[in-house]
Amino acid sequence: MSDSTSKSVAIATVPELLAHALAMETEAAERYGELAVQMEIHRKTAVAAIFRRLESAEKKHLAEITEMCRNVELPHYAPWDFKWTGAESPEAIDTGRVHYQLSVREAILLAYEHERKAAEFYAGVAESAQAADVKEMARQFAAEEQEHIGWLEAWLAKCGPADAIATEDPDPPMSQE
Amino acid sequence: MTVQSVSLVIAGSGGAGVVTAGSLLLEAAAKAGWYALMSRSSGPQIRGGEAAAMLRFATEPIMSHDDSFHLLMAIDWENIGRFSAEIPLVEASLIVGDPTHGPAPVALLSGKPREAALAMTDIAGRIENGRPNMVALGAIAAMIGLPAEAMQAVVEQHLKRKGQAAIDASMAAFHAGIAAAADLPAIPKLPAVGATSGPRWSITGNEATGLGVIRGGVRFVAAYPITPATEVLEWLAPSLAKVGGVLVQAEDELASINQIIGASYGGVPAMTATSGPGLSLMIESLGLAVAAEVPLVVVDVMRVGPSTGIATKSEQSDLNIAVYGLHGDAPHIVVAANSVADCLFTTQWAVHLAEAMQTPTLVLTDQAMGQARAIVPRPAELAFIGQRLVATAAPAAIEGERYKRYAVTASGVSPMAIPGTAGLTHTADGLEHNEFGTPSSQASDHQAQMDKRSRKLTQFNYGDHWADIEDAEVGAGDTAIITWGSSTGPAREALRRFSDAGGKARLISVRLIAPVQPEKMAAALKGITRAVVVEQSHSGQFYRMLRAFYDLPKDTRSLHQAGPLAFGPNRILEQLNAWSS
Amino acid sequence: MESCAQTKKYAAKDYKSDLKPIWCPGCGDYTVLNAITRALAELALPPEEVAVVSGIGCSSRIPAYTSVYGFHGVHGRALPVATGLKLARPELTVLVTGGDGDGFSIGGNHFLHACRRNVDLTYIVMDNQVYGMTKGQASPTTAPDWEGSKLTPEGTGINPFQPLVVGLASGANFVARVSSSDPVNMAKIIVEAIRHPGFSLVQVLSPCVTFRPEQAEWRDIVRTAVVDVTDDAARAARRLMTDDGFNVGKVLYKGSRPPFRPEFENTNGSVAELEARFAL
Repeated sequence: MSDSTSKSVAIATVPELLAHALAMETEAAERYGELAVQMEIHRKTAVAAIFRRLESAEKKHLAEITEMCRNVELPHYAPWDFKWTGAESPEAIDTGRVHYQLSVREAILLAYEHERKAAEFYAGVAESAQAADVKEMARQFAAEEQEHIGWLEAWLAKCGPADAIATEDPDPPMSQE
Repeated sequence: MTVQSVSLVIAGSGGAGVVTAGSLLLEAAAKAGWYALMSRSSGPQIRGGEAAAMLRFATEPIMSHDDSFHLLMAIDWENIGRFSAEIPLVEASLIVGDPTHGPAPVALLSGKPREAALAMTDIAGRIENGRPNMVALGAIAAMIGLPAEAMQAVVEQHLKRKGQAAIDASMAAFHAGIAAAADLPAIPKLPAVGATSGPRWSITGNEATGLGVIRGGVRFVAAYPITPATEVLEWLAPSLAKVGGVLVQAEDELASINQIIGASYGGVPAMTATSGPGLSLMIESLGLAVAAEVPLVVVDVMRVGPSTGIATKSEQSDLNIAVYGLHGDAPHIVVAANSVADCLFTTQWAVHLAEAMQTPTLVLTDQAMGQARAIVPRPAELAFIGQRLVATAAPAAIEGERYKRYAVTASGVSPMAIPGTAGLTHTADGLEHNEFGTPSSQASDHQAQMDKRSRKLTQFNYGDHWADIEDAEVGAGDTAIITWGSSTGPAREALRRFSDAGGKARLISVRLIAPVQPEKMAAALKGITRAVVVEQSHSGQFYRMLRAFYDLPKDTRSLHQAGPLAFGPNRILEQLNAWSS
Repeated sequence: MESCAQTKKYAAKDYKSDLKPIWCPGCGDYTVLNAITRALAELALPPEEVAVVSGIGCSSRIPAYTSVYGFHGVHGRALPVATGLKLARPELTVLVTGGDGDGFSIGGNHFLHACRRNVDLTYIVMDNQVYGMTKGQASPTTAPDWEGSKLTPEGTGINPFQPLVVGLASGANFVARVSSSDPVNMAKIIVEAIRHPGFSLVQVLSPCVTFRPEQAEWRDIVRTAVVDVTDDAARAARRLMTDDGFNVGKVLYKGSRPPFRPEFENTNGSVAELEARFAL
């Protein structure tokens, strides 16, 4: 069940690529939002803030892609029919890899990993596509992902030793229902 | 005037056909224009055990058995002594036995009844395919004044499929019994009534219960068999199908209660019937229905408890669990039927109450009325139909507000969205919640929701149905009988006997057990200075409940006894007379 | 199609409520919620025509996190509530969500009979082999030597319950096992489960990061089952009894037993007919 990012990606037309981009940005924005909520609920404010910033960035991407999709008839893909190279859309952080004691650094690294996967996905499309317009658009998308990667690299560089420490909770878990 | 009635028992062991004989007799009595009540008692065996059919016939409606029986017709004596406590016999009573089976067991003779012999086996033996139980029926018919034509019609109806020869054999035995009765001592005879009595029904309490819920609008029933409630469910299975409803057999009572919660949440009025052990299992989920505000009806046909108790016999001892059994503060409704026919009224009313207030409603009946068959005046048509306050899509959606499933309203009742309604999706929850249904552990939400769940029950207008109140002379007298459920029958008759003798008293039979109605009770007790509380429970559960919630007259006494023995009217009359003298 | 927004009638997030889940970060149940909402979107079911029913437990919180009709009942009784709802309202799509304790311990009898009865329900069990809401006690699917609970410090010493095998033996009409680490495939299997008539059982290996942190390894242990779906329950059961519980990602059994569906006959207005039978 491991991800594989080296597969070539069979995307032939612009509407197909847009459908993928739209799904990827939608899921990325939603996922960062969900992770931010999880961390906020558990009072992990520093980590939550990272996810909130990324959510905001993805929402911008999503708006741009949505604008590009206007008046384009997109093909329908079931969630499992997208040509992702991994189990889910590449930019969405796997919720199972997040945990309660995630450090700021770990959160950035996770996001970094997924942003890179997104860039690699587009690069793969650009490389394997036959149509010039698909190649061009995929290259453009890949470049945009690079921007996020750049930010994350900068954030990583700024991380101090405290950001690498898992946040401890001295209290035991609570009993509910 | 005291009821003109005759009471008799047909008893015998397996194969004697006493239950069939009792049913035939009841049907023939119906054809003769009489009113009747029949209950049964039996040994623990599934087949072949000793059994007794207790019957009372009258020319006017009756609601209970008498204090004693005029006649015990024993087809044989096998283990019949076990029933002695349930078959009170006095000096005026007559025991008729078959000499083939020897003398009557001494257990039956403590009241010094008269004894006589009827050679049922021999007489039947002289007729091809003749049966002793038909000989017994002939003798009984002759002794109580039941016209032979009525029995002829019933036998023809029953044996149609077996052919003319079977009918002829039965009727020959029947007529031989009539002839033999000439040599037997007399017991009271009833006059023939014919067509003069109004329209009547022949119905059991359990059937009336089933009909009541259907009339009330129930169209989904979950069923788990339990004595003595099974017949409610068995009657409902084919009957529901006829009116577009469904009955499902569940894997246990935990499932049946939760299935009806699911069905009712889906918008279909739903019920189940059970007895004490099943009710115990359902209690947790009844609390869920209180919290999630899901209307439903559970009928408890009470039997002797605790535990498995005496499954086949009656007791009024589930009052406490019905009222107090739920954990937490869980306002719900408990109503109780007070006669075979009232099972129809009370269950139909229960559906109405449950639906109107979106709350679980327990109906208490018991084995004595549930499994008794009665010939009663045709019950009145009732206007109660379950009417749920349903939310429709428009208002909330237009205002852009989220739907509040548990909106705090003045009445306490919140419009309920039924799945399938667009714009009003929500999650109904057994967790304490806010108005939206979102789980909440805040004190203010708990207080507000508790208030509303309580308010919808206390503010509801229950009308006059909360109790049946009967006066010997309206407003007169200073003495009351306060009772509920099956004890109402003998109490009614005691009141009648008391007033026939010139006494003035009042009967209050409480139908709405919970929520309590202190103001209405105060009005009902106006002018009353002494009261006797009658119930069939070992600990006096009803008396204690009355003491807790009502202002009772200073001189209030508890007349209670454990099941399965029912009160005879005279036990209650004794108390009234003791006060008068 | 006017614009891309209309390419699908519903998006996954249309099936999510505004309520924020209280699950621990990393909990497998987040993925299951996402898979359910993706499945519903793919099926394009109007939210008001879907109901999710649950009992008690972490995973039983799912109904409130969806935007469909939900019912959150008492511990162990989700299946009978769902049964009543589906039989009373056959046109609704009814899902049941819950955990291993709710479904196989306190609700065990209902599980057997729901499989037997084969009402058209989809039962998604998030199996984490632990009671999470009460701070981590052994559940029916916990290994006998797990010593992580104060309640059973020496382990339970009892063999774990095999839900899928028991489900097959009891008559479940559709059996699948998925891992929460494979969310998109889970959505696909949930779609199949909803579409398949009768009682569909989907076991989700859904780690408890708080009380069973070692289950974080599950994502690396699980493997896609190499067998194809069968219509032979005995064969499916034999495979399941001999595997280690980590063969996932496939529908393992699809039966063809017709679902239990008593029809509401359309014969209104005959109460009088019932009453006539009592008249003398």
